[in-house]
Amino acid sequence: MTTLLNVDNVYKSYGSLPVLKGISLTVEEKETFAIIGPNGAGKTTLFRVMTGEVLSERGRITYSGHDVTGKSAHDRVQLGMGRTFQVARVFPEFTVEENIIVAIEARLRSRSERPLPWYRTRPGSSVREEAGALLQDLDLWSKKATEAKFLSHGDKKRLELGIALAGKPQILMLDEPTAGMSPSDRIATTELIIRLRAANAMTVVMTEHDMDVIFGLANRILVMNQGEMIAIGTIDEVRANPIVREVYLGKEMYGADG
Amino acid sequence: MKIINAVLFLACLAVMFTVPLWADQGILFIAGLVLVEVVFALSWNLLFGFTGLASFGHAAFFAIGAYLCGYALRAGIGAPFLLLILAAGVAGAVAAVLTGMVLLRRTTGIHLAIFTLALAEILRILVGYSTALGREDGLASIPRPSLELGFASFNLASGEAYYWFLCLAATVIAAFLWLVCHGPFGRILVSIRQDPERTTFMGINVPAYRLAAFTISGATSGMAGALYAPWAQIVTPESAHWIHSTQPMLASLLGGAQSFWGPVVGTVLFSIINYSTRNLVGLSELVIGAVLLVIVLAAPSGVVGLVRELRRRLSARVSQTGPGTEGKVGPKGKLVQEAA
Repeated sequence: MTTLLNVDNVYKSYGSLPVLKGISLTVEEKETFAIIGPNGAGKTTLFRVMTGEVLSERGRITYSGHDVTGKSAHDRVQLGMGRTFQVARVFPEFTVEENIIVAIEARLRSRSERPLPWYRTRPGSSVREEAGALLQDLDLWSKKATEAKFLSHGDKKRLELGIALAGKPQILMLDEPTAGMSPSDRIATTELIIRLRAANAMTVVMTEHDMDVIFGLANRILVMNQGEMIAIGTIDEVRANPIVREVYLGKEMYGADG
Repeated sequence: MKIINAVLFLACLAVMFTVPLWADQGILFIAGLVLVEVVFALSWNLLFGFTGLASFGHAAFFAIGAYLCGYALRAGIGAPFLLLILAAGVAGAVAAVLTGMVLLRRTTGIHLAIFTLALAEILRILVGYSTALGREDGLASIPRPSLELGFASFNLASGEAYYWFLCLAATVIAAFLWLVCHGPFGRILVSIRQDPERTTFMGINVPAYRLAAFTISGATSGMAGALYAPWAQIVTPESAHWIHSTQPMLASLLGGAQSFWGPVVGTVLFSIINYSTRNLVGLSELVIGAVLLVIVLAAPSGVVGLVRELRRRLSARVSQTGPGTEGKVGPKGKLVQEAA
């Protein structure tokens, strides 16, 4: 196993409020790494520091051999990072198919296989075919001509996953992939992520509140509380950790949501 | 539907090119101004309708091009006219890069609008103080050039000749902007307007794309100015006035900012309203205000959006193709809400 993402002693505060107090972790290639913790633990900030939306004050982040500590988000995406948001973000005025096409074109442009600015993506072109295959994979093919703003919550989540996958990421960062979903949708989404992860040989980093989803997907878990690391390890190790049981699992395992 | 669009488009081109054959000098002059303003409005809407950036001082780029071209033609430096237009484009682009690099790094929303407005007003006041640029009187009696193409030479001194040149130039610039808007580059700009963060996570350097759009828009606005100077044969600081900056905005809102052709429709409609109410002092503003009010309330996606919506409903009624198409059309109330 080789290390893909390495976060080394990262600090971040908003004003005088410290949010991350020396977080270190490594994500190995092709594993699924989950970050959990009660609300306000700093999960989302850690997530944003890793994706480059927020820059850390101290510490170092390396990604597949590159030091990306000061690099912007789009640079990290070009190195192979993909991301979804807690509340699904798709392009509401585009059709489902256009959402995927624009993501594929963006990948081609940013990796300098750029089509000419006035190149038109016609039916039968490789971009269209790739988009079609991806939509079928996500079970969205029948809705390809629907404007994305008319999609249901679950469909939007899947479409957003498709936008991220269209960038052919090496590592996929999922921010609460099942937030706000019904139990049956949660199971379906978990299964979808397992399938896509295997098919694309992807590494996954995720935050999530739902423990069933975590235990169904993750190989290793980082437990955070008030900006600090409480525990890091495999599912069994974390489950057995007495502090974790007290701070998080015991009390909030099923209570926390959103 | 494609055939109807093509016929409509060719009919518009035909009307545009034949104006000198059936209209008097007054209407010809207005038609020429419409062409200039169409280029200007399309430039502005590349920013607003496609990239989601509002510049309230776009007349500054127009004025830079107009003054550059007018000054050079009056000075008689003998530079080919096409080169002058290109130079005006470069000047507009440079001005846009310089302001964009400072402004776009810090602001995109209402602050950008106010900053550009302020910069344009500063430019207008500075030009008003400049003796070389004719102070408040501007540059008058600008001669119309002749077009040297190497193999042939066209004298554009007459109104008809220059008008036809305007038609060609406006068509070329509009075609360029159309291609910019409708390829992958344009789609990325539209993505940025809809959700810049999501676009960032497709690996797109959003500030760089915004700057590129700003630069292209500044360049074509400068070219519009360069086309204007020999047509009106006078350039005054009023061309940089904020009232002139509102022209492309109002045209885009009236015609439909989300559509490429919206600003064209809006500019033409505005000119028709202006022309038909020209003898009724003060009434033209009243009519324009009322029309805008109705459009904004009843059809926030502009005239083009309204036509599209009607067409979509019509075709949905003709061919009941199931829930997919119905979902696409959506409830009217929702569309109105989203667009507002």
